[in-house]
Amino acid sequence: MKPGKRLILFYLPGTVLYLALFVYPTLTGLYYSITDWDGLSPSYRYVGADNYARLAEDIVFRKSFANNLKFMLAVVLVQTAVSLALALQLTKKNKRTVALRALFFVPTVLSSVSVGFIWTFIYDPSLGALNGLLEKLGLGALTQNWLGDMDLAIFSVAAVQAWAHIGQMIVLYVAGLQAIPRELLEAARLDGGTRGQVFRKVTWPLLAPAAAIVVSYTTIQSFKAFDLVFTMTGGGPAYSTEILSTFIYGAAFTNGTFGFASAASVVFLALISLITYLQFRLLRADRVSY
Amino acid sequence: MRGLGRIALAAYASVILLPLMLLVITTMKTTPEFYADPLGLPRRWDFSHYRELFDGQTMWRYFGNSAVVTLSTVALELLLAGMIAYGILRSGRKLGGFMFALFAAGLMVPSQVNMIPIYSLLRKLGWTNSLTGLVLVSAAVLLPLSVFMLSGFMRTLPKEMLEAGAIDGAGEATLLVRIVFPLCAPYLASTAAFLFVIVWNDLLFPILLVGGKDKLTLPLALLQFRGEFVTDYPMLLTGVVVSTVPMIVLFVFLQRYFISGALAGSLKG
Amino acid sequence: MRYKSKLVTLLVAATALTAALSACGSASSNGNSANGGAPNDASPSVSAGSSSEAPSSSAPSGEKATISFIHWRGEDAKAFDAIIGKFERENPNITVETQVFPSDQYQSTAQAKLADGSVGDVFASFPGAQFASIAKAGLYADLSGAAFLSNFLPSLIEAGQRDGKQLAVPYQLVYNIPIYNADIFAKYGLEPPKDWNGFLAAAEKLKSEGLVPIAFPGADIGPGQFMNPMVMNNAPDPDIFAKLEAGETKLTDEWWVKTLSQFKELNDKGYFQKDALGTKDQGAGALFAQGKAAILATGSYQLAQNKKNNPELNQKLLAPITVSEDQAVYEGIHTTTFMLGVNAKSKHPEEAKKFIEFLSRKDIAGEYANATGQNVTVKDVEYTSDELKTVAEWTDKKTRFQPRFTITNAEIQKAVTSSIQAVLGGNSPEQAAREAQAIVDQQIGK
Repeated sequence: MKPGKRLILFYLPGTVLYLALFVYPTLTGLYYSITDWDGLSPSYRYVGADNYARLAEDIVFRKSFANNLKFMLAVVLVQTAVSLALALQLTKKNKRTVALRALFFVPTVLSSVSVGFIWTFIYDPSLGALNGLLEKLGLGALTQNWLGDMDLAIFSVAAVQAWAHIGQMIVLYVAGLQAIPRELLEAARLDGGTRGQVFRKVTWPLLAPAAAIVVSYTTIQSFKAFDLVFTMTGGGPAYSTEILSTFIYGAAFTNGTFGFASAASVVFLALISLITYLQFRLLRADRVSY
Repeated sequence: MRGLGRIALAAYASVILLPLMLLVITTMKTTPEFYADPLGLPRRWDFSHYRELFDGQTMWRYFGNSAVVTLSTVALELLLAGMIAYGILRSGRKLGGFMFALFAAGLMVPSQVNMIPIYSLLRKLGWTNSLTGLVLVSAAVLLPLSVFMLSGFMRTLPKEMLEAGAIDGAGEATLLVRIVFPLCAPYLASTAAFLFVIVWNDLLFPILLVGGKDKLTLPLALLQFRGEFVTDYPMLLTGVVVSTVPMIVLFVFLQRYFISGALAGSLKG
Repeated sequence: MRYKSKLVTLLVAATALTAALSACGSASSNGNSANGGAPNDASPSVSAGSSSEAPSSSAPSGEKATISFIHWRGEDAKAFDAIIGKFERENPNITVETQVFPSDQYQSTAQAKLADGSVGDVFASFPGAQFASIAKAGLYADLSGAAFLSNFLPSLIEAGQRDGKQLAVPYQLVYNIPIYNADIFAKYGLEPPKDWNGFLAAAEKLKSEGLVPIAFPGADIGPGQFMNPMVMNNAPDPDIFAKLEAGETKLTDEWWVKTLSQFKELNDKGYFQKDALGTKDQGAGALFAQGKAAILATGSYQLAQNKKNNPELNQKLLAPITVSEDQAVYEGIHTTTFMLGVNAKSKHPEEAKKFIEFLSRKDIAGEYANATGQNVTVKDVEYTSDELKTVAEWTDKKTRFQPRFTITNAEIQKAVTSSIQAVLGGNSPEQAAREAQAIVDQQIGK
């Protein structure tokens, strides 16, 4: 059954739009990485690999890179672990679990700006709910300067990122868990396995593909967490929450060094592609058929 | 261990509910009352902030703008991406693989890279500060995701149906409209829901492409509140509540689609 | 099928809406409603005057020329509406269409939109780095010699000059020095201190009375604002930051290390509120408005908003003098901002200039000032509120143009303010200065 040439027509409108308004600008944008364009002037000069050399040495870029890694690790660990733990409780199909799953999903539909504002308010050292709550519970010793402590801030933001997406990951995990054939679980249980053993030997291996997707999706999302940082801390205090996406934004628009920012974007792209590729390899390696 | 599980669920439920409740409560306090006692319950449920926000017609305008932009973008997206996904489905391995890769690659591009070039391009076309331009750009930028999702869905369709139709002499268009779309309807709905959330909440392109006061979308308006009500948290949070209520309402009624859409968005492919 | 009909309805509705949308096209209304700009960490802070939503006013569309006016102060929308209404009555063939972008994004959005000339015939800009950047791109029309320039106080429009040409005229006058609660000071018999020891003593007294001496928004605008009075006498050379950018001086030199040490001193002695680094503008402003803090380390642009939050406040301005009285050169810091310029690519330069001329009339400027609570750079304006008058008193004092704005490289500016945050976060002044200087060195290509 040879699909006719008319198939091209199906591709046409979408592809034209895509090429015109996405691919072409992206390539242009990447091209600027070998210039010193400031994003504003009508003219610019070629600088070859200069931007990349500067990037490698740039202190702020390095900080952003390190912060992004910290952020990513924290988000991935918390988000995947917590959502798995909760998903395990929500696999049954009754009214309660459906309601809970829906509730947990709510933060996902909020805009990141809203989430940022809400949590900035909660984290506020004097007016905010978190410290206030801790005080009321008599845990005043645990109060922190959540967004103002240079060592803590990035993790406070990571916690919010996780809060906003755990619900979505729960859905993924539940789907994965529900796909495991009951017979296998029951057989394992009948064979005398404890809950722990059943989980380790049966559930987890079969869940691995879903888990891999959760990890991969979370990783990529955490690299793109621009809105949240922008709204909550603006990269501060003292660069401690500066991540790659905010770095690129700053280089492009605040510092007027668009060429430089484009170079950083290329590195960013390469990094994400690498991670995505590795994740997919991992996924394929874990494909279990039964 | 049952109990531990229950506790975990309850704990997380409160982690979700408490911030949201606090949010709403804060908006019901008068500003001085808020600063006097940030965490307490309001003495009277005060709606003055909401009234102030809706004073004048602009708030409804923003809602309208957001609604129009989002619905148009999503509709356009489903159409274009659906056609492309169908094309991929029906093409040979080489062409189909190539097209798929072309679109999937777009998933990794950070928005800052093409922001300025997109703007320059629209400038030359005269489409800045027009909601139409915004819709077209949003649609273009979402194609990678939509094609990714829809082609994944379509792959799960039983091939036999399509082949049977083709043998019966149906053209591609007929196959698409009569067989694929109806079968895909729930998937289209899920994708629509997923896209809806993204477009409604989008900040980046509206900021760049929409300037006129009358053309703002909700998230953009919210950002402006921060400037205006910089020392007025209750007012600012009122803006947040108002911008998020529509999504929550929609979500409550159309949960099934949102959730399955999110599932698919992350899973398929 | 149920789904199918739902979907079809959705598609039909959406298509209908799109059609309706294109029919309306980009209808330009004259609506200027309130929303707007705000301070943020690295940007200059020109913040809330009176804030509220204004209904869009629709005026008859002009036949001859429509000019676009872009800025970031949504809180001034009502005031501008009224003024634009008057302007249009006087010039019936000109229509003014306003666009406001939040000040965080003003930088990026203005930059992108000015370049084609269809937007921002008249536009506002920040002095310092943004001014330099736009001037370098050749986007300011030369205003030198324009008659309306004489309406301004000459010393106050210097920030808009470059290479001997007047490229933009600053409209707002702001003093970036702390606000203090005059009633609290009176209650404890305090006067604005004249030297550093006096400042410390006053803070100690306030602290002992259970107040927060200085409310400092360390998370956003605090460092960028307060650094100015703190450094003005430590480095009285007005070109100090230009020299820094030229590599002729370093942040590790005495003048900046001393400034950082003084910040640290204030923090260590508990004169800033607890967790100052995590406090944003809202939090600090709240402390001050409630009377829990005696001094608010921001600037005169917040006077009006504070008054709105607490109408009982009696506010005045003071600046910390970081040296001994005889060594003090400057009394305060001013910034002339909201610089109005004409887009060099504008298709209606004459109309744009007319609008600026209109704004520079003292009665119009006065109307603007009294409505928004912001002082202006125009001569002979009559101010009606206490706050505006308090600020107006400062025009007679020896003040210096905001040093932070003389830094033209935004990354360097950020490094400077970050070093303050680093010190408040516990780093030693020497270390913070060293780390910041490393970034400066990279930026200037050493």
